[in-house]
Amino acid sequence: MAERRVEHVMGMPVVVDVRDAGVGADAVDRVFEWLRFVDATFSTYRPDSEIRRLDRGELALRDAHPDVREVLARCERLRVATGGYFDARARGPLDPSGLVKGWSVDRAAALLRAEGACRFCVNAGGDVLVRGGPWRVGVQHPHERGRIAALLSLTDAAVATSGTYERGEHIIDPLTGRAPSGALAVTVLGRDLATADAYATAAFAMGERGPAWTARLRGCGAMTILAGDRVVSTRRFRRHRLPLGGAASAPTPPSPPACGSPPSWRP
Amino acid sequence: MRAVLAALVVTAVIIVLLVSYDTRPPRRANPESALRTPAPKVTRRPHPPGSRTAEGRMFNTPYSRIQVLATVYRGRLIDVRTTQLGGNDTHTNALNARAEPILREEALRAGNAEIDVVTGATTTSLMWIEALQSAMERASRG
Repeated sequence: MAERRVEHVMGMPVVVDVRDAGVGADAVDRVFEWLRFVDATFSTYRPDSEIRRLDRGELALRDAHPDVREVLARCERLRVATGGYFDARARGPLDPSGLVKGWSVDRAAALLRAEGACRFCVNAGGDVLVRGGPWRVGVQHPHERGRIAALLSLTDAAVATSGTYERGEHIIDPLTGRAPSGALAVTVLGRDLATADAYATAAFAMGERGPAWTARLRGCGAMTILAGDRVVSTRRFRRHRLPLGGAASAPTPPSPPACGSPPSWRP
Repeated sequence: MRAVLAALVVTAVIIVLLVSYDTRPPRRANPESALRTPAPKVTRRPHPPGSRTAEGRMFNTPYSRIQVLATVYRGRLIDVRTTQLGGNDTHTNALNARAEPILREEALRAGNAEIDVVTGATTTSLMWIEALQSAMERASRG
């Protein structure tokens, strides 16, 4: 039996859609158990979370959960890799949320694979990981409300969009402390959601300079919608695009590969 | 059925964007503010004989309560109404006033779209889609 479920966790709805016939409710239960653990451990809203206790100096880093140490170390590597544009302390207090969402979905995907799932999709508040495929993934247009800006065919991939879509999502430029200008939205696709999401956040904060930076990323594709509706995308991104508007007449995608076949992801 | 549902993701995004001009959602849902959908101003054609209508289950988020009524005819969604949308009154009123005509129109055009998932979709639209799916499943079961 296939299984599809949504729960509100980590401050957003998370949709888990497993298409494998042999994978059922138990596997999806475990995914949401994992995400609730992540929420309790990493939440910046819960005073008793490890992140808040670390920030108040009540918990030493060496005593923190290994997952917390892993995430914070990765945040630091990303801060360096993005020239400071991805910064878990952009606002002052420790806030690794920009990595935690993608990282926890990547771990959830590993969990589902271990349960025998090969064809599934996890959508965490608009950031998406797919395994198996191909999946047709629309990129919401940032201000033309009834439209998608691009349609992608993705297999074994992750795609994250940063921009002005999401209520409550307020990215700031860590270097100036102000809201970035120049870009309306940045979509990054890659193999894992943690990286795609962090790079999308950083590229959005870079504004006009984002596209040049995303063009140099290894293993990722990106599309940036700049003010004035200029759209800049990398070759890797365009490789996954399907024609828009002609969805009904597009060629039928190949049938999904069998589980265990080599990953089809070619950046 | 799934294709129709997927096609409505974009529509849901429209609606949420239409009503989401305040940047901070209310901290908690106010159950008192959940309204029944007022009678629409446009005249509805009666549903054809053999069509089935069902209300999906209520979806709760920290910010809103969402429930949807779906009508299915020969496996196809022909009507949808948002019957509960708690949250704040601005959202509720704006959604009631604007959502239904858009949804009705979009639902009729939805058959050809083939989108599995949308990146950049808003939080509320994701919940709305789930509410619609629940209603469609119940209507399809009869």
